[in-house]
Amino acid sequence: MIANRMGRLVRYIGSLPLLLLTGCSAHGLSRQFLLFRPDGPLAGTDLRFTELDVAVMMAIILPTAAITAFFLMRYRKTSSTAAYAPHWSHSNLIELIVWAIPLLTVGLLGYYSYRGSYDVNPYDPGLLKTKGLPAAGRGHVLNVDVVTTDWQWLFIYPAQHIALANALVIPKGRTVDFHMTSATVVNDFFIPNLAGMIDIMPGMRTKQELVADKIGTYKGYSANFSGGGFSWMGFATKVVPAAQFKAWVRSAQSAPRHLDYAEFNTFARPTKNVNGKTYVFSHVSAGLFDQVIKGVLQGRVYTTPLPPAGAA
Amino acid sequence: MVNVQGPWSPLLGRLSLGAIPNNPIILGAFIFSAVLGVLLVGYVTYADKWGVLWREWFTTVDHKKIGVMYIVIGLVMLFRGFIDALMMRTQQMLADGPHSPGFLGAAHGYLVPYHFDQIYSAHGTIMILFAATPILVGLMNVIVPIQIGARDMAFPYLNAVGLWLTAVGAALIMISLFLGDFSHAGWVGLTPLTELAYSPGVGTDYWMWAIQISSVGTTLGAANLIATIVKMRAPGMTWSKLPIFTWTALSTNIIALTSFPVLAVALGLLGVDRYFGTHFFTAGLGGNLMLYSDLFWIWGHPEVYFVILPAFGMMSEIIPTFAEKALFGYVTMVAASFAIAGVSWSVWLHHFFTMGAGPRVNTFFSIATMVVGIPTGVKVFNWAFTIFRGRSRFETPMMWAIGALFMLLLGGLTGMMLAMPPINYSVHNSVFVVAHFHTMLMVVVYGIMGAVSYWFPKVFGFKLNERLGKRFFWYFTAGTIMVFIPMYTSGFMGMTRRLDYLANPALMPFEVAEEVGIGLYLISIVYFVLQLYVSIRDRVANRVGADAWGTGRTLEWLTPSPVPFYNFALTPRVHARDELVWRREQGLEGAALPGYEDILLPRNTPVPLLIGALALALGFGLVWRIWWLTDVSLLAIVLTVIARSFVQDTDMVVKASEVEKIEQRLRARGAGAASAEGGRGVEILRPSASRP
Amino acid sequence: MATGGDITAGQAGLWETHHHHDTISTRTFGFWLYMLSDAMIFAGLFAAYVVLDHGYNAAGGPMGAALVHPGSAYAQTLAVFTSVLAYGGVMVALKRGSRGGVLAGLLVAAALGAVFLGLEVHDFIALFQAGIVPQRSGYLSAFFALVMTHGIHMAFGLIWMLTMFFQVAAQGFTDKTVYRLLNLKVFWHFQAVIWVLVFTFVYMRGVL
Ligand code: HEA
Ligand code: HEA
Ligand code: CUA
Ligand SMILES: [Cu+2]
Repeated sequence: MIANRMGRLVRYIGSLPLLLLTGCSAHGLSRQFLLFRPDGPLAGTDLRFTELDVAVMMAIILPTAAITAFFLMRYRKTSSTAAYAPHWSHSNLIELIVWAIPLLTVGLLGYYSYRGSYDVNPYDPGLLKTKGLPAAGRGHVLNVDVVTTDWQWLFIYPAQHIALANALVIPKGRTVDFHMTSATVVNDFFIPNLAGMIDIMPGMRTKQELVADKIGTYKGYSANFSGGGFSWMGFATKVVPAAQFKAWVRSAQSAPRHLDYAEFNTFARPTKNVNGKTYVFSHVSAGLFDQVIKGVLQGRVYTTPLPPAGAA
Repeated sequence: MVNVQGPWSPLLGRLSLGAIPNNPIILGAFIFSAVLGVLLVGYVTYADKWGVLWREWFTTVDHKKIGVMYIVIGLVMLFRGFIDALMMRTQQMLADGPHSPGFLGAAHGYLVPYHFDQIYSAHGTIMILFAATPILVGLMNVIVPIQIGARDMAFPYLNAVGLWLTAVGAALIMISLFLGDFSHAGWVGLTPLTELAYSPGVGTDYWMWAIQISSVGTTLGAANLIATIVKMRAPGMTWSKLPIFTWTALSTNIIALTSFPVLAVALGLLGVDRYFGTHFFTAGLGGNLMLYSDLFWIWGHPEVYFVILPAFGMMSEIIPTFAEKALFGYVTMVAASFAIAGVSWSVWLHHFFTMGAGPRVNTFFSIATMVVGIPTGVKVFNWAFTIFRGRSRFETPMMWAIGALFMLLLGGLTGMMLAMPPINYSVHNSVFVVAHFHTMLMVVVYGIMGAVSYWFPKVFGFKLNERLGKRFFWYFTAGTIMVFIPMYTSGFMGMTRRLDYLANPALMPFEVAEEVGIGLYLISIVYFVLQLYVSIRDRVANRVGADAWGTGRTLEWLTPSPVPFYNFALTPRVHARDELVWRREQGLEGAALPGYEDILLPRNTPVPLLIGALALALGFGLVWRIWWLTDVSLLAIVLTVIARSFVQDTDMVVKASEVEKIEQRLRARGAGAASAEGGRGVEILRPSASRP
Repeated sequence: MATGGDITAGQAGLWETHHHHDTISTRTFGFWLYMLSDAMIFAGLFAAYVVLDHGYNAAGGPMGAALVHPGSAYAQTLAVFTSVLAYGGVMVALKRGSRGGVLAGLLVAAALGAVFLGLEVHDFIALFQAGIVPQRSGYLSAFFALVMTHGIHMAFGLIWMLTMFFQVAAQGFTDKTVYRLLNLKVFWHFQAVIWVLVFTFVYMRGVL
């Protein structure tokens, strides 16, 4: 037992340099910066505003740091040539400038913030309305209902009467509308390459809306701590061509497991999804999402058992 | 009362033998603490110091000693918080990727999720409320009265009560380590996770009552400091002559006085939910869990400015002293402090932009948040112009102040990023946020370290060792860079916060770098302890006069070091903003006192300590739901307060002749004047109390 | 008091002797600050009440008119205001230096305060018996929290008044008893103001 573990550790440590290597090969590492590799308009906007903000702020922060460092060097006690004015402590001009510069900058950034807030507003992304969407984009929305439990994801495709747990499949290039709620505590829906975070709250509905531009598999996370199984609340997001999506839906519709509210309540018992298990459900009862919300509002809780005595 | 999971008995409540954790790490921590405790008790007994401790410290109402005790509590908790950080970093390094090894029953790393979650929750709670806050309150306690030429605080007795309530909070957290568990829901106590259904143990109750009890102390302390500043200033100290640190103390305590009650409401309502089964923050039956977020952050955001403003004040004292030049833009500095304090009330929603409140609301709070950058920027520029045409000396306090300044630039840059909703959506709740706030809180820690080394000689009469202090600074700085720069990058890799297991093995290089940073921190602590040891050992050689740094500017440097218990033999009359500079330039700095007078001071009392002890019993009873204990201790507290109010004889008079003796002794042993009397440098003098 | 007798107040103007702070004014100022923090507690509770004062927060349980007895609330209001008036009598007696007047005023004010509390407890018992309890819904939680917090403040004020009764009886007018009487005035008036707010925001709005 112990030996086994130690073996695992040794192998693990042995593989570390390898990891560093792959990590450092320019391509490999840069691909790991998920936020710098947007594959959808929402994530792209997030990145664009990041660049803008950093550029504007750097234009002030860097000179400020440089000037401060220079002053420290120039006016150090041991420098005999520097001027010394022990009583000089006021200048209207300088005071005006030091208030004006940040004020103007905040004005500028405030404008960008206003623009950005509307662009990525999950209830009505200005961005998806105005920018380069395929003509069919908005008319042809795919609805996905998202329910989080302790500690799993349930993605319900209401029109298709199917559901997928702990994984998400969406078609490329089509607007996907997520309606989200939680059966237990607050979670946060996050697919770094595709869309930023939106909270998921019990008894309430939030929304996210996104389009994926490329085919691929993306990491999805819960970003809001929700208890013991939180670290394992990852879900792979598969973006597939439209045709393949249709085929997948059809196959899912014949999945053996069905899902109604009673079945959901079994599913929602506290579960740490340590092994990344995924499930497919067919014949998902209509209105399950609303039923979950209603249940929560009426006081249904999925109680966490008391941790074993003495566990700390 | 609601029913709880698990057994309950009238005598012991939820407490049973099973409450003692059977985990080797905790056992280790327990043995470590126990050994340390036994050593400490043994030493005190051996050195026969119990009487001194009792008379000089436990029953004191002297603001300097109370301040020092606040700082000691804070430093001990800072150390505890660091051990938590070390455990978290080690866990995240070990538990990276699906093939990472597991020990001690954990699937990955060496901490099971529930344990890891308690550690970061304890770390955040401790660091902000039981390390940073007490140290800052302590420093304000020590310095503000001396800086305004007062002999004491407005309410010395209340001051002691505040100290002991803070100690109770810290004690409850330490007890939770060995009896039961701690909250697992973060320092913010996310609802409805903290509701009984999702946090059925006593952990959340420990967290709640520790904060609740200690923040009563903080609120009382805030009222006390404000009253002191408004009512106790020396003659001639008009508002335009108030030292800048005192200004920041005033602004920050206005924040505390008005915001801590909101926290009390948030936690109080959570408490009734947990104890009586009401529905404030439950998801169902008409509760509103977002109300908790609002209430918490209406306190929580001002709280971060509550900790940064005194740090700004310390920087504003240290930089002019070591640049040997007046602070640039005094008036705008004051205005900026109050602007920050004022705006801090209208930004709380930036902690949950992702709740999707709608773009209009988000834009409002985003811009309000950014507005804070304006007065903060003004402060940075003013410090730069203070250095301009000065004569900077790079002694340890100055190094910390400069470090804080650069940290502030980085933290401000990333704060301004977070303040923009489209950016926030992509990094909220990621370790990028963690890196942002640590950078900012490092401004506080740097300010604290600077202030401790700056004012240490004032309080104890000798300087800390410079060489070791610089080592401490550099290793600490290297640690900070190694831990938090990689954390920013991990944020861009999509790493969310509060993870006990990292699914992405590519994070490994950064985790390793951060662990190296922890090693550097560890070395820095060794230097800190070494610095204390060496400085105390060499205290006679390190003695200083009234003006420890030779270029002090404000009133505290006028009275002898160590400061006698009455602060000033005669109350100074204030003529200038930088009174000491004024006196120095007039050639009056060392002018002998024209005489002495009797001084009336409050007498020591054990009542605050008693109230603290009862509050500890109350908190413990509440956590474990031992109702007889809560009833008895609450009643005892009320009766104690009433009984104390009947005591009339609470003051003492120090005779002029005794003041004269003390003053002459202190002035005779100024810098370099190490006398044969030796070895008594640490003591702050105390008279044989005489009755009025 | 001073030794040496050679301290002239103006000697170089550097030091001040016999510099005294006015204890009573410092104490009362400090108490105003405390009241400010107390006001923030009520502000938080009112905010919670406003947030939870919607139909869906009642979760199908009773709201507004169902739990408000305007008559009883009106009687409570009368009790609070006459009590404040009686406390005004305490202040007048204090100014005249009449110990007996102060003691009598304290007793009357405390008695009226007790009437207020009695009425409140009576109402609560009736509500509880009708199944209207804080655990029923978010709205009721907020309602009871707000009203009960005020009630606890009133009870605390009563204890304080009785304490002052015995203190003044035993010690007469010292700096300490005087500033405590002044602070109690602030406290008691403040509770009356809060009651007015509760009355208008909770009771009146509930009925209208
Ligand atoms: C003032 C506040 C403060 C301070 C100083 C720190 C300091 C540190 N913190 Fe902390 N941290 C928080 C406040 C703070 N933190 C908060 C609020 C959270 C969020 C919790 C939550 O999620 O709910 C958090 C969370 C947090 C995490 C969790 C991240 C996650 O969610 O995934 C991590 C992980 O690495 C971390 C690390 C560190 C490290 C390495 C330090 C180091 O900088 C520590 C450096 C300190 C020292 C080196 C100690 C020096 C000690 C002395 C000089 C005294 C010596 C005294 C004696 C010997 C008596 N912090
Ligand atoms: C001492 C503590 C401290 C301080 C001072 C700050 C200061 C700031 N903070 Fe930070 N913050 C925290 C501690 C602090 N913060 C903590 C603890 C959290 C997270 C808690 C948790 O979730 O656990 C947090 C989280 C946090 C968030 C939420 C992140 C999230 O969870 O999604 C945001 C978002 O707006 C934010 C923004 C800011 C901003 C804009 C400032 C500004 O005040 C910064 C202003 C400073 C500058 C801008 C630099 C100097 C200025 C110039 C050189 C002039 C030029 C400037 C301009 C042109 C503007 N902070
Ligand atoms: Cu915020 Cu629901
Ligand atoms: Cu904030």
